[in-house]
Parts: sequence; structure tokens; C-alpha cells
Amino acid sequence: MKIIDRLLRRNTSAARVAGFVISNFIGLAIVLGGLQFYLDARSIWQQKDSFISTDYLVINKKVTSGNTISGADAGFTDAELSDLKRQPWVRGVGSFLSNDFKAYMSVDGGSHSLSTQMFFEAIPDDYVDVKGGEWHWEPGMNEVPIIINKDYLALYNFGFASSAGLPQMSEGIMSGIPMRLVLRSDDGRRVMEVKGHVAGFSNRLNTILVPRGFLEEANSRLGRGLPRLPKRVIVDVSRPGDVAIAKYLDEHDWEVAGDKSASQASFLLRVVTAIVMGIGCVITLLSFFVLLLSVSLIMEKNRDKLHSLLMLGYDLGTVASPYRRLVIGASASAGLLALASMFLLRACYLGAVTGLGAQPASVWLTVVVAVALTAAIIMLNVLSVNRRVRSAWRR
Amino acid sequence: MTNRNEFKPLESITLRDMLPVVFAGEAIPASQVWQSDVTFRRGESVLVEAASGAGKSSMCAYIFGARTDYSGQLLFNGRDVSALLPDDWQLARRVNIAYLPQELSLFPELTAWENIQLKNCLAGNLEDSRIEDWMERLGILFRRDYPAGRMSIGQQQRLAIIRALCQPFDFIMLDEPVSHLDETNNRIAAAIITEEARRRGAGIISTSVGNHLLLDYDKLLRL
Repeated sequence: MKIIDRLLRRNTSAARVAGFVISNFIGLAIVLGGLQFYLDARSIWQQKDSFISTDYLVINKKVTSGNTISGADAGFTDAELSDLKRQPWVRGVGSFLSNDFKAYMSVDGGSHSLSTQMFFEAIPDDYVDVKGGEWHWEPGMNEVPIIINKDYLALYNFGFASSAGLPQMSEGIMSGIPMRLVLRSDDGRRVMEVKGHVAGFSNRLNTILVPRGFLEEANSRLGRGLPRLPKRVIVDVSRPGDVAIAKYLDEHDWEVAGDKSASQASFLLRVVTAIVMGIGCVITLLSFFVLLLSVSLIMEKNRDKLHSLLMLGYDLGTVASPYRRLVIGASASAGLLALASMFLLRACYLGAVTGLGAQPASVWLTVVVAVALTAAIIMLNVLSVNRRVRSAWRR
Repeated sequence: MTNRNEFKPLESITLRDMLPVVFAGEAIPASQVWQSDVTFRRGESVLVEAASGAGKSSMCAYIFGARTDYSGQLLFNGRDVSALLPDDWQLARRVNIAYLPQELSLFPELTAWENIQLKNCLAGNLEDSRIEDWMERLGILFRRDYPAGRMSIGQQQRLAIIRALCQPFDFIMLDEPVSHLDETNNRIAAAIITEEARRRGAGIISTSVGNHLLLDYDKLLRL
């Protein structure tokens, strides 16, 4: 070891430096582990649905026995809609439009022909996210794209097909089947006939969806033309899972269609992650102060030596360098240990999490966070070292 | 090493109207340094004599850039030093001014030899044989590998004198260098310092409260 290192490392307490390395390691490991777990696990609740974002909620009024008896529609009034739009968690509201005519769908399958009465709904195109030109309809087109709920396919495959002796169908085969749609006005005098095909399956849209332009035109040609209130609305929310949403819906006796536990669980995951990472950050911050104080203490004890070395003509940088190396070495090893333990932790939980249907996320963000936190700790400590050397320069 | 404030060489050190801040407003005895205009020149040897508490060590610390609690001006080669940055001072300490502080500033846990090498490796690069020769002449070679802190104060003073010589310099400034030396060692130290200063064409600034380094001084100043 160089003489100058031997001089300046005097009064270095191995226990204090080890205390920093351990506490910084624990703090960083919690931050990084929490972050990586959040990134890996959140995909469980972000079910891939290419048609509708997780930020959208489909809301309807609860159907009561009263509705059944009176025959009254449980639709949203204009006043209710404008009140909904004013809520802070609402980015936008779109109404569902339903068919005002009778609809039949038939499939010609050779020996197995199928025919059924149908219904359609449409929402503003902004809320439907279908890549490419699939989701497109304009007047004059004779073919309509349709999005159906995945559960309908399951109902068919596992409920209907087996009992009716029909073949089971995959999503791909279902999409390839040409359908014939016969649309008839209430009085049966006006008829429209178009072709249809399934353009996709949605987890979250609990309906049979057609392009809005098509449904508007069909309603105007075949409908009774009576004003009708929307039964369901789709809401673009800024904070899915926010308790304010559940509270507001409860107050109005409205309900969210489909599985809302996903957004609640994802909200819970976020809260838990924030708490865990918060604790990790506090420990990291405390460990940073441990290092800052122990290096300051060493330098304070060695202040006379620092001054004497500077009086001999040593550069400020040379005199600071043993402490800089101490800071860099301690922080970097704590950072590396924390990263390593993050990978170890990940190896432990990844099997379980992917078993629940998660898509493992990339580790780069976590690595970048580890490097950034370590670099920040090093930088602030080096600044403090430099400041102390400058203060020793003039006695 | 290049530096915008490098003095190659440092020809003169001027104290213009200088006064330690603590003396401000006090009635100080007549002084040939404080509140006057004094210039130390390269190649010249000067003895600054003073009673204790007159500010000898302060003067040395000012010239060496270690303290700035004075009024008036300090000029190197006629230029005010207040614009010098810490790095400029560090360079000046390596190549322009050698300084033996009164408190010696040795590192007690290091051996005599390590104390010297700490300076020699930084700035001097003198051969070991030459340093050992000085140690021999000053009678401390047998303490070469002995911790400096366990040497007698007189031995430490001789060690610090040798350390001060292990660098290039235009001025060597010695703050009471022989306060703990007997006359024999005083003469030997004076001879070595004169040799080295002559070899480098350097100036000598020595202070004393009584027992002074036995040289033929060109000038004597009363502080």
C-alpha cells in the first residue's frame, strides 16, 4: 500500500464501513427486488386485450326486479352522464349503442348449419383499439367485422358444441367462418342482409361489438327511430382501481361489467409495491448518511494529516483519492450485492409468478435504477469528500 | 506539469503594507516587515528576527499560502497572489517554495525514511545516497527506519530540515529551524542548506527568536 494511503486510511473503522455496505445492500435490495417484482407481476392483471385498454371500465345500472316488472329500461340519463363526466378520475365517457331491430346470424357449415337470433352493440371507435384496417366499415361495404367476448367461444366449445354434437373451434377457425347477418325491422317490412366475420376476441368487452357507423346506419334504416337511453357506458379512467371509483359507483347503485378484481388487485399491487419500495428507499437514505458521516468522521480525525500533506504540495485530488476510492468501493460493492440478490430473488419467485400467467418483464429498468442510485450515493459522497479536503487546505 | 500561474522561476516575494488582522488597531513595535514594503529576492539569504508573538509563523504561513488573515498585499514576481487557485499554490509548494514549519509537521507513525520519501517521491526525486549522506552528516542515519514520533525533538528537527530540501525550490523558508539543535548540528544544517540553496540559486528566509541558523546572511530584518 502506498504511504499516503496508509496515512489517510488511519482511523477508518471497518465496522462502520461494513455497517454501511450491509445497510445500503439491504435498502437497495428491497428497492430493486420490489421494483422487479412489480414489473414482473403486474402483467398478471394486465390481461392482454388488444381491443380495449385496462383503463376502460364498462358501467351499467343494476338491473332490479322493478325493471323486470315495469319493463322500464335502466338507461343513463343526460344528467347522470354529465355528472359522471365531471368526476376527477374520468378522462372520457362513451355510450353504448344497441340495435333497434331484429338480428339473426346464420352459418352455413354444410351438414352443420347454425342459425340464431342476435344482438349488437357499438361504442365510439376511439375506445376500440384494433391494429390495421380490420375494424373498418363504411357505407356500401357488405361485410361487417365483429368482436365477441372470449367467454362466448368458451360457452360454445364447452357448453354447446359437445351437447349438440358440433365440432369445437379455435379462435383462428372461428375468425375464418363466414357469417350471414339478416337484419329485420320490427314490423318485418324492411330487411338488410350483410356478411360478417369475427375480427377478434375480447376478454373485457362483454358484448357482441360491431363498428358504430354500421350500427347507426342499420338503426336509421330499420329502427323505430325512438330516442333511447344508453344502457351501458364505457369510461376512460385515469386511475383504475381508485377507491373513489368504487365509492361513486356504489352511491349510484351502478356496477362495473366484467372482472373488476383485476384492476383492484393491480391497484393493491401498486400500493404494496410503493410501501415496500418506500421502506427500501428510507433504508437506502439512512445508509447513505451512515457512509457520509463515517467518511466525514475519518476525515475529521485525519484533518491534521490532510493539512500536512497539502502543505507538502500534494494535489487536492491525490489527497482526496483514498476516500473517494473507499466511497466508490463500498457503494459499488453494496450495489452489486443488491443487484445479485435481486436476480436471486427473481429466480425464486419467477416460476410461481409465470405460473399465474405473468409475462416476465425486462430487468433493464431495475439495473438502470440500481446504477443510478449507486451513482447518486457515490457522487454525493465524493462531493462531500472534496469539500472536506478543500476545508483542510486552509487551516 | 503545466499551469497558468507557474512561476519559472520565482524571483521575488514582496510583502506590501502587510499586517496580520489580529494586529489591526494595536500599537505594534516598530517593524521592518509589517506595514512596510519588503522584498525577498532569489539568491539572497535573510534572517527575520523577532520576539515571540511578533508574527513570524504568521508571516511564513502567509507566504506559503496557508493563511490569508492579513491586510495589505503579497506579491510573487510583482503579481498579487490573491488570484491564485489552490492548485496553483500546490504547484508553487512543489517547485517554488520549500518550507520548514516550526511545528515540523512530521507524520509520527511513519519512519524517518518514509517521512522523507513522502516528499521526495512527490517533488524531489533525489537519489537515496544523497539523502542518506545528509542524514549521516546530521547524525540521524541510524534512525532511518525508526518511527519519527519516537525520535527526540532535535532529531525530528534535523529530519524535517532534510525533508524540506527534497524538492526543487527558488526559496527555502525555515521557521526557527535550529531551536532544538546544538551548535555543531546547527553548523552542519547551515552548511547543507547553503550548499543546496547555492546549487539551486535559491533564496533563504530563516526566522529566529534567538538561536538562529548560523549563516552569512545578506540581510537582517526585525519583525
